[in-house]
Parts: sequence; C-alpha cells; structure tokens
Amino acid sequence: MSKFRQLSLLALAPLSALVFMPPLHAATAPMPPPFEGVYQPQGVDEIGWWREDDEDERALLNSPVLIHDEKLNNYVTDVLCRTVGYDRCSATRVYIIREPVFNASMTMNGTMRVFSGLLLRTRNEAELASVLAHEFGHFERRHGLQRFKGLRSGSDVAAWASVLAGVSMNYGAHRSMHGLNYQIYGSYFRFSRDDEREADLLGLGYLNSSDLRPHAAAEVWENLMGEATASASIKGLKKPNFGRVAFFASHPGNQERANYLSALALPDGAGRDDGADRYREALADWMPIFLDDQVKLNDFGASEYIIESLAQNGWTAELWFARGELYRNRGHPRDLVNAAEFYREAAFADPDLADAYRGLGLSLMKAGKRSEGQGALRRYLELNPDASDAKMIRMMAPELEVSE
Amino acid sequence: MTNFMKNWFLSAALVLAFVVPSAVLANSYREQGQTVSVAKSDMEVTPPQDWNKLRARPGKKAETWTLDGELLNDVTFYGGIAPGKPLVKERNKKHEPLPKFEKETLLIEVPELLESTYRANRKIGLFELTSIEPSQFLGRDGVRFNYQYVDKDGLTRKGEARAVIVEAQLFMVTFDAPRLHYFDRTLDAFRALADTATL
Repeated sequence: MSKFRQLSLLALAPLSALVFMPPLHAATAPMPPPFEGVYQPQGVDEIGWWREDDEDERALLNSPVLIHDEKLNNYVTDVLCRTVGYDRCSATRVYIIREPVFNASMTMNGTMRVFSGLLLRTRNEAELASVLAHEFGHFERRHGLQRFKGLRSGSDVAAWASVLAGVSMNYGAHRSMHGLNYQIYGSYFRFSRDDEREADLLGLGYLNSSDLRPHAAAEVWENLMGEATASASIKGLKKPNFGRVAFFASHPGNQERANYLSALALPDGAGRDDGADRYREALADWMPIFLDDQVKLNDFGASEYIIESLAQNGWTAELWFARGELYRNRGHPRDLVNAAEFYREAAFADPDLADAYRGLGLSLMKAGKRSEGQGALRRYLELNPDASDAKMIRMMAPELEVSE
Repeated sequence: MTNFMKNWFLSAALVLAFVVPSAVLANSYREQGQTVSVAKSDMEVTPPQDWNKLRARPGKKAETWTLDGELLNDVTFYGGIAPGKPLVKERNKKHEPLPKFEKETLLIEVPELLESTYRANRKIGLFELTSIEPSQFLGRDGVRFNYQYVDKDGLTRKGEARAVIVEAQLFMVTFDAPRLHYFDRTLDAFRALADTATL
C-alpha cells in the first residue's frame, strides 16, 4: 500500500507543477508581455484543436443567432483592439451572438464569442473592455491547450490507478485510488480557476496600460453580484454566498475577483474616461431588443436590477416600456397598477411608441378599467395599423360608434 | 466459469428489469378515426390519420404527439392549465421558475405566455410572434397565432397554435417543426387534427 501511495504522489507531481499561482502580492496587475508576432499552432494536439475550432467557426458564420450589424460588430472589435493593441487583435475575429446570458468566450484559434446578455449588462466601454481583454488573455496564454493537456494527463493517471488498484485486490489500494481520483478532479478545477485568475490579471494589465478606467473591471463583478442578489431576493431565496468556491467551480468566486481586480487596478487610472457615452451611442439601436430578450426570461429581480442600473443615466421611453412589460408579464393585481404607470411614462417620453399604448391598454383592461383600456388600444392601432395582432386588438377595442 | 455465468445472469436480469417496464410504458399509437381524450383533460380529438403519442409528457397537463419524432414535428396539447400553473414542468421551481397562466391573463396574452415559457425554458434569444388572430377553437372564440424561433439546437423552427380560455382554464394546441421542409409538410395534418378537437 505504501508503494501505491508513492506511485500516486509521483503521478500527481506533473499535475501540481502545472498549477499556476497568481502574483496577488503585486501592487498593480503586471504589464502585458511584448507582442511576439502572429502565432501558429504547434504540435499535433494544438493543430488538431485549431482545426476543430476552424470547423466550429465556419458553422458559426452560418448561424441564425449571429448578429451581423456592421456598426455594432466594428464597435465591439474596436474596443478589443484599442485595449489589447491592434497588432495582437489582428489574430482574432469577434462574433456577437444573440443569447440573453452574461458570457463571452474565446477559442484557441482566436474566435471570440460575445453574447448579447453581456452587452446588456456592461454599462460602459471600460467594463466591456475588461471582459474582452480577459478572454483575450486566455487566448494569448493558450489556456485551452493547457487545460486539455492537464485533463488528459489527469485522466491517464486515474485510468492507470484504477488498473493497478484492480490488480492489487486490496481494500487499501482501492481507497487510495478513490483518494487519488478526488485529488485529480480537484487539481483540474483548481487549475482552471488559476487560469481564470491569470486571464483576469492579464486583462487588467491591458486595461491599466490603455486609456480606459481600469477600476471598471471590478465593477463588472460587483454589478453581477448585485443582480444575483436581487434575483434571489425576489425568488425568496437566501442571498448567494459569493465568497464560496465549490469543489467543481471552474471560475473563482465573484467576490474574490472583484477584490483583486479592484486592488490591482492602476490607482492613477481612476480619473480616466470609461467611455459610457460612446458605449450608449453604439448600443442605442440594440439595447431595447436585448432588454426585451431579458424581460421575457421571467427573472423579475434580475431584470428589474438591470433596468434600474441602465436608468442611472436617465429614464428613457424604452426603459419605462421594458419595466411596464416586466410588471404586466408578472401580472399580480398590484403589478398592473405599476405597469400602467410605467407605460404612461413611456408614452409621455415618446408619444409615437405604439407598443406602450398596447401595454397600457391591456394593463388597464386587466385591472378592470375597460373603457380607458380600449382608448389606449385604439391609439395603438392608430400608430401601428398593420400590427401582427391588429385583428385581435380591433376585436377587443371596436371603433367607437358615431352616436358616441 | 461459475463466476462468469453468475455475472452473465445478473446482467441479463438487470437489462430485463429496465426493458420490460419501458416496453409496457412505451410511446403509443393513436389510430385514425378513434376519438381519444388528450392531456389528462376533457379535450378530445379524432385523428384523421395515425399519430404517435409520446410517453414523456412536457407537463402535468400536457401531451405530445408526433409523426416523425418530436424534433421534426411536435404537436403538444395543453389541457386545462389552471390559474397559477406554468404550461410545462418547471426544471427548477425555486431557481428557474417559469411564467404562470393567471386568472387575469387575457386571451391576447396567451401567445406572450408561450413565448416567455419557450424563452425561459430553453434560454433562447430569438423568438418572434408573426401573427395573432381571432379564431374558433373547441367551438368557442379563441386565438390562433404563428411564431418562429431559433431553438437551442441552432435550428430555426416555426410554430402555429390555437388557444381558448374556458372557465378560467387554458386549453391550447401547438405545432412546432423545423422551418426547413418539415413545417410546411406537416402543417395540413396538424390543422386537420386540431379541427377535430372538442370539449
């Protein structure tokens, strides 16, 4: 049995050597390394992965969820390039995907996927840049390949250990084998979390050396924690524990990320511009659409948090309308009163916003104010006579008779 | 050898234990011309052609029929969804609740309820209601609507549905199929089936 233990320790040695320790004692995040020119895949593993990624990228190009808007794509690509440098950025392609989740990812061949749920949640250019630079950090450090190799070595060791344990027919050997398996799983996920920390620091390094405010990186995570808390509170759940790191967690806890990103941001950069105006202008056409996608997910607390967070820069007709939709969709009697009020605000801010009158009319009718509701629905039909539900609305709010 | 035989019998017994009940509870056949009740409700249909009924039901008060498999053509009956209940079974009631049909829900809001249920359940971002019209269903004034969405598998699907609210309960039948080929091919069969629905 002691021999087996020795074997297990020997087997783990290369795994533990791969584990990265981030330099958390540094005063600020390290500056990005010098650009070494365009990288090409090397070795059978990497070449194979790049080929697979190339195939995925071809499929992605034909995907109906891809947003092709040139202006938006150019803007997001430009934010990445200005943050990491145009020389580095030339190795990547940015794709924007319409999916209402907070996420972005980067494959080994340089395909960056940015999800619409992320664009809805970041509030300025600096916040977006911090997430894009983090993903770029994974690409630059070739984390995907390292993770693959780590996983393969770990599963090789686990497979051989189970063979040896089977041969030994000894209870102690079996117990050691199980212990070894847990160590392998644990070190794989710890390895993954360390990769994330390294990418965080690299991303922050880019932000520190850019002209954007680096403190925005921590604010992304603070904002996300606020949203998760709001979501849990409305659902009647306990406040999530952001400091806890589960055994199988692939990423460090949000609280930890916010803490070290805030501590390692360049103090002199605090006064820099975060590009909030440019961001709002570039996203103006898409924000109502992304917001609508979020509102219809039936996550009241999170949606309300996002709407209020966006409204910090002033309430717009689109924001009032989204809030009206959110309350009408939940549809408690108390919600309908609020919904009608929000739709009224939306219609006041933009008297031509047809859908605001539709929402107002339906909310009023549900709240028992039939004739008032019908008036609003008629206004909806005046503004949008070819609406997809025009026939149905016309039946609910018939034209007034001449005698009236 | 004895050990081997013992293992063999044990494996065979285990396989049988799983196979036999699933054969008993397997998907079943709905024959042409035979009136059957659907979705554990009083709603009845008389299929003008043979259909397959799937054993797996999407919700307590829902039932799925298909011709070529539910990914290619899926007809789902919702039989009397009561106020406060979701259309389909919630994966995680506490953490990921689905929108509920309410007593106050208007007929015109039923398409939005289906949209929100699909979006929340499948975590999809592209769903469009293409038309909402008044129409008869189960011999009453109801709503007929069409929609299109990109499903989780990346395939664009089209759908048509009819719904009616009877005594504060929602009765609905939906038809979902890939936009490519299958929707147009099965649409008439769906309409013929939905026309036979009574309550």
